[in-house]
Amino acid sequence: MKTTLFAGASVGLIILASATAASAQSIDYGAMEQLFNEPVTTSATGSPQRSTEAPVAMEIISAADIKRSGATDLPTIISRVAGLDVLNAGAAGADVSVRGYVMSMSPRLLVLINGRQVYLDHYGYTAWATLPVQLEEIRQIEVVKGPNSALFGFNAVGGVVNIITFNPKFDNVGSVTVRAGVGGHQEISAVKTVKLGDKFSARLSAGAVQMDEWKNTAGIANNLLTDPARVSANLDTLTQLNDKTELRIEGSWSNVQISEVVSNNSYSPTKYVTSSVKGALASETKFGTLELSAYRNMLSAKHLVVGQAAKFDNEITVVSAQNLFKIGAKHTFRVGAEYRHNEVNTAPIAGGQLSYDVYAASGMWTWAVTDKLSTTAAVRFDKLELERSGTFPAGYPVVTNAYWDRSIEEASYNLGLVYRPTGFDSIRATVAKGVQVPTLVDLGAVQLKVVQGPFTIGVIGNPTLQPSIVTNFEIGYDRALPALNAKIGASVFVQKTEDVKGQPSTTQLDIAPTATSLPIISYRNIGDSKMKGVELTASGKVEGGYHWSADYTWTDVEDQPLAGYSPAGRSAAFERTTPAYRGNVALGWENAQWAADGYVRFVGGFDAYNSASVLVAVDGYASVGGRVARQFEQGFTVALSGQNLIEARQRQTAGLEAERRAYLTLTKSW
Amino acid sequence: MSNKTKPGALALCALALAAAPLSAHADAAKDLQVAGRALTFLENGPTGKATLGVVFDPSKPASVAEKNAVMAAIGGGMSAGSLTIAGKAVEAGDVGSVSGVQALYITTGVNAGPVGAAAKGKKLITIGSDVSCATSGACVMSVSADPKVEIVVSRSAAAAVGAVFKAAFRMMIREV
Repeated sequence: MKTTLFAGASVGLIILASATAASAQSIDYGAMEQLFNEPVTTSATGSPQRSTEAPVAMEIISAADIKRSGATDLPTIISRVAGLDVLNAGAAGADVSVRGYVMSMSPRLLVLINGRQVYLDHYGYTAWATLPVQLEEIRQIEVVKGPNSALFGFNAVGGVVNIITFNPKFDNVGSVTVRAGVGGHQEISAVKTVKLGDKFSARLSAGAVQMDEWKNTAGIANNLLTDPARVSANLDTLTQLNDKTELRIEGSWSNVQISEVVSNNSYSPTKYVTSSVKGALASETKFGTLELSAYRNMLSAKHLVVGQAAKFDNEITVVSAQNLFKIGAKHTFRVGAEYRHNEVNTAPIAGGQLSYDVYAASGMWTWAVTDKLSTTAAVRFDKLELERSGTFPAGYPVVTNAYWDRSIEEASYNLGLVYRPTGFDSIRATVAKGVQVPTLVDLGAVQLKVVQGPFTIGVIGNPTLQPSIVTNFEIGYDRALPALNAKIGASVFVQKTEDVKGQPSTTQLDIAPTATSLPIISYRNIGDSKMKGVELTASGKVEGGYHWSADYTWTDVEDQPLAGYSPAGRSAAFERTTPAYRGNVALGWENAQWAADGYVRFVGGFDAYNSASVLVAVDGYASVGGRVARQFEQGFTVALSGQNLIEARQRQTAGLEAERRAYLTLTKSW
Repeated sequence: MSNKTKPGALALCALALAAAPLSAHADAAKDLQVAGRALTFLENGPTGKATLGVVFDPSKPASVAEKNAVMAAIGGGMSAGSLTIAGKAVEAGDVGSVSGVQALYITTGVNAGPVGAAAKGKKLITIGSDVSCATSGACVMSVSADPKVEIVVSRSAAAAVGAVFKAAFRMMIREV
């Protein structure tokens, strides 16, 4: 196997004033983007690729986009990506999904920072406020639409958001941002990269923010709400061990409180403390680019579930290894293996401990068939072994921990074909299968008793729950229009979700009571759901410093429940909770000193679950955001921005009404 | 074509002819940007100031025009990523004796075979603006910026001069 194509001596005669300091193991996104005049990504296949050649539906949000957005949080920024659905539960709590199926504690979107999962496994969702990243340190946000479990593993079924930060080895950034706004918004953050000699570089960031929760006009019990606040810090270091090998150590911490909607659709004044440590060793060898990484995420989450304090301590340990190499001129391969250990306690009723181990193997092959045609095949096999220890609540059906000795074995795949008939056109056809594994809560970490009238009902997870399998077929076409300095795109997609998970419902007992045990409600696989849709995008620039973009995504969801199950009663009526359409229009202008941007987001009407888990109609709406900024000398920028500007309060969900918020931001950059 | 449209058409043609050198200049600048940045993805590649030999065939007007456009684009020094590129015009027949350059940029129309062979003898990286320069194996690399950045690397030519590109770069370009 010949993996080093240009084996031989270095190019003596082209060495100039000084030699390059070291080879790059981590990707220099900035240099690559400048070279190819487009963003590059590794989130499609694990191999670096130009965004227009990635065999997945993907959009990349740049640092400039983030800066111009005027947004103060990630969900607002991501909501401006075509096809994304966002439920804003409060001033800092939001749920995000791709092309429908959004719900409280939305489980279908896997979110990562530099490849480290920040998706919370205990309940299976992303609490966006906990992400220990400042907006100013983000190089780009890569949004993959559709399953990508073959690369990222479980839960990358609706899509993936991979947040890529500036790399201190290649990027030199520094800023301090101070922000104040209506609604008691106070925020400060700082980001700085440093280099110590030729071998060591680091990025440090920290931030704190607090604000008032949106006014409670929805009749939510006030003890279920809290004013959002967050403090977070992050350290990212790179050490060049030798010319071919680098060690990257990252650590993060966040302490957060927010009002959020938990999976039973009720508000919770949740408190989170997260921390993480990650080490990654990457080396360019004659066998390929080898990477060994290990990380541990620690989470303490205090929710209020059915009026009961539920504190989950969830610890995830992931160890992975991969090798990326090219054979000949046309074939790129990635082989990888991963081990994951995940454990959490039971709550609100303590006494039990759930854990699982996942063993995974994966591979990817990209074949550049011709200069116009390439194919990619990626596969992954995961084996999950579940176990439980500890005691059971009094009054529950008699089972032993052995009932949890269960394994889940699933394969996932991504197949893609990209055809570029001209330098202007790109046609992409993909087929993907993703696996949404039941969460630890689903599998049994939640155990509580609910008083319903004269009865007491037990709630417990279901270790026999099947994973939901999402299969997606998509054809996309993108065309550059150089005469107009614009590009357009269209996608058609069909998706099927098998074994949809239904939530416990007090309207349907899952285990009948006996003389010695309580009636039990639990999680159930309630059938399938199908979705089809069309997505249209366009963007461009106009002479004079103007830029614009527009997108529209139409989806049609059809739930296909098993006999005896009601999607509406199980908080899984996606046919009703998915809006038929959503879209964005943006227009901006900038010159050397000034920048002005406006964003309109429109969403079709849909039904949403209120706190009593009853579906209520939410009318379609349009929301407007924007930013006007003036840049001064010595790196100072003053910006006035706002969100939800049309109305003082706007109903966007069945919960709190979204409030108009405006901010004044002062940034000093180095 | 009616008489009414003739003046307009002639004016357009004149405009197009007048604009052509500017266009060529702009394209040369873009291609050079790609070439310069691509050089930074070589193992032990150049940093700082790099002098590019711009190889042309004086008997071919197109080659001379491209050389002029490239030299004009470089001017007193062109920044491309971490490199500052300087230019030195080199007649095709003089490549075997060229000195003081770190890479050669071969304009369209130059007989790339002999030039490439001479460059290999001197272990010099060769970059062509014509894709056939790389696909034929005469050049190490060909670059073009429009309508989309395309980089083609000849594995045999690269091996001949001992050029090794970084792994990530190799996965994003076309190798032949």
